[in-house]
Amino acid sequence: MKRTLKAFIRKEFAQALRDPRMKLILFVMPMIQMAVFGLALSSEIRNIKLAAVYSPGDVAAAGLTRRFISSGWFVPADPGRARDPSGLIVSGKADAVLVFPVEGFARAAARGRGMVQLLVDATSVTRARSVEAYARNIFAAHAAADAGLEASSPPFGFDVRIIYNPEMESPMFMVPGVMGMIVCLVTIILTSMSLTRERETGTFETIVSAPLENHEILLGKTIPYVVLGLANAALVIAAGFLLFGVPVKGQLWQLFVASLAFVITTVAIGTLISTISKNQQQAMMGGFIFLFPAVLMSGIMYPVENMPVLLKPAVYLNPLYYFTSLLRNIMLKGGDPAAFISNLSALFLMAVSAASLAYARFRQTLD
Amino acid sequence: MKTGPALEVKGLSIKFGDFTAVDDVSFSVARGEIFGFLGANGAGKTTAIRTLCGLLVPSSGSALVGGLDFSDGGKSIKKIVGYMSQKFTLYNDLTVGENLDFAAGLRKMEPRYAAKRRRELFELIGFDRPLSTMVASLPGGVKQELALASAMLHDPEIVFLDEPTSGVSPGSRARFWALIHKITGLGKTVIVTTHYMDEAEQCGRIALMRAGRLIALGSPEELKRGAFPGPMTELDFKGAEAGEFISALKKAPGLLEFSPHGMRWHAAFRDQAALSAALAGLPVSASAGLIKPSLEDVFIRLIEGAER
Repeated sequence: MKRTLKAFIRKEFAQALRDPRMKLILFVMPMIQMAVFGLALSSEIRNIKLAAVYSPGDVAAAGLTRRFISSGWFVPADPGRARDPSGLIVSGKADAVLVFPVEGFARAAARGRGMVQLLVDATSVTRARSVEAYARNIFAAHAAADAGLEASSPPFGFDVRIIYNPEMESPMFMVPGVMGMIVCLVTIILTSMSLTRERETGTFETIVSAPLENHEILLGKTIPYVVLGLANAALVIAAGFLLFGVPVKGQLWQLFVASLAFVITTVAIGTLISTISKNQQQAMMGGFIFLFPAVLMSGIMYPVENMPVLLKPAVYLNPLYYFTSLLRNIMLKGGDPAAFISNLSALFLMAVSAASLAYARFRQTLD
Repeated sequence: MKTGPALEVKGLSIKFGDFTAVDDVSFSVARGEIFGFLGANGAGKTTAIRTLCGLLVPSSGSALVGGLDFSDGGKSIKKIVGYMSQKFTLYNDLTVGENLDFAAGLRKMEPRYAAKRRRELFELIGFDRPLSTMVASLPGGVKQELALASAMLHDPEIVFLDEPTSGVSPGSRARFWALIHKITGLGKTVIVTTHYMDEAEQCGRIALMRAGRLIALGSPEELKRGAFPGPMTELDFKGAEAGEFISALKKAPGLLEFSPHGMRWHAAFRDQAALSAALAGLPVSASAGLIKPSLEDVFIRLIEGAER
């Protein structure tokens, strides 16, 4: 058993680390994906043109406007001669307009009616959402800084994500998701292709002609990929830190345990795919049939809360959803134990069921 | 040296669902024999070999391989046989050393014993390149020899070779067959499948298979005598129009087989009298000469004849 496992591990590593394409998939592709996805999927928006409409001499209004500009997200719009707030938006001279009470912001606030209107160009919904969220944050900060000024509750919804990412720094939030995605992609594709390649080339016949138990072959073919998957996870976490400054606020062992549970799950799913594929093309297709829904329904790009009710069960069967939640929890939130344990148990359950299913499906038969 | 036959097969059948790949086959193979399976693609040769290697379990009938049965699903059989599949069984992207190390690991061999076996086998096959040579860079014939060495690393009593020489040069084929003779010289039993008649001639005995059934069994000489008890002649019409003669000949009494071989024809008869009678009307320009039937003639008579 030990000798066979050792032989498998040495062989798989020799093959994986010699093949330039494999090296590309294992080490270069994740880096490129991290950089591209991390930046492209980022919903952070800067240089929002902001105009403010207030009575001359309204110091409080001018102060709040300055706070908007100094946040770094907004730049002052050049209104020209236009004075009509909605006209500014329509003409595209401004992306957002703050409209203060005519009687003066400070006076209105003192009377408890400090309503400020924010007009947002919602041509792009994502952009508008960001502007909303920024404005809400700046208001809160302003109210906290100046206790005398009671910030009016803006009439828009509360964004849950702000809890983990108070600066609304989007890469921070996106990167753990992208990491999960990359680890998922690499392990699923490599594992599902590796067993089918043996079947296709005929080397599988060498393996099954030796007196081995099913679990010896399966462990031999999967342990190397679990190790490679973990190395990959470490690589993307390091890249996240170096490229985007994503911190690890929780414990490293939590990251390790979460990654291990996830990698075991995906390697088992990859093996499962290889047991139903006749050749490498089928395995590749099978891999993508799993990967696309897994990525789309993981909460990486679209919030899970917004999924149609019918699709929700699929979300809760998606290992990537739990892994992404775990990564965000550990890296950004400091590894809150309750969330850590519940997500990890779900992932662990999946690892066990996927592995048992792969074991049950595996046959030493040929053709 | 163990005693008893290497293979003892009785009424062996192997079914995949409704399809019967091997149908009620019986034979036995003595130790040290070169035993060949001959037959068209899909005749059941590979299935028979895979079963006897312990990769498949018989659907019915019995098979003893080196005296062992299938009561443990073929596990113990796998230990005493070596199997070289018709697909290339080495890893092209590994070195010679890595390939043999992996084969040794699969068999849970003690590293020092594996190294000793490796040296012995390298000497047997005449391999003198460095262990760090990539398998992909080796010529086809050397690859096959190395695959054989890998299949024999655990010192099996019985070696199964499924079309070991397909796709290699004629020179390499000859070298490989010299190797097979060397192996049986060491007391091993070799079971081999082939498409080449010249290779089949080198087998001690041949099992002819068609559609899963064993239709003839014996040494090449026995097969020839069995298929062609009477004389065989080779006819050469030297390009002359001979349609009339040929159609008459096809109806001649006592004709066993009549088939084209390139520009010539082979005609086999029940006895000398039938031959003399049939060839009485041979055109003057044509020539006829007695020949010994080849295995190819046997193959055509027994296998293609049965399909006609």
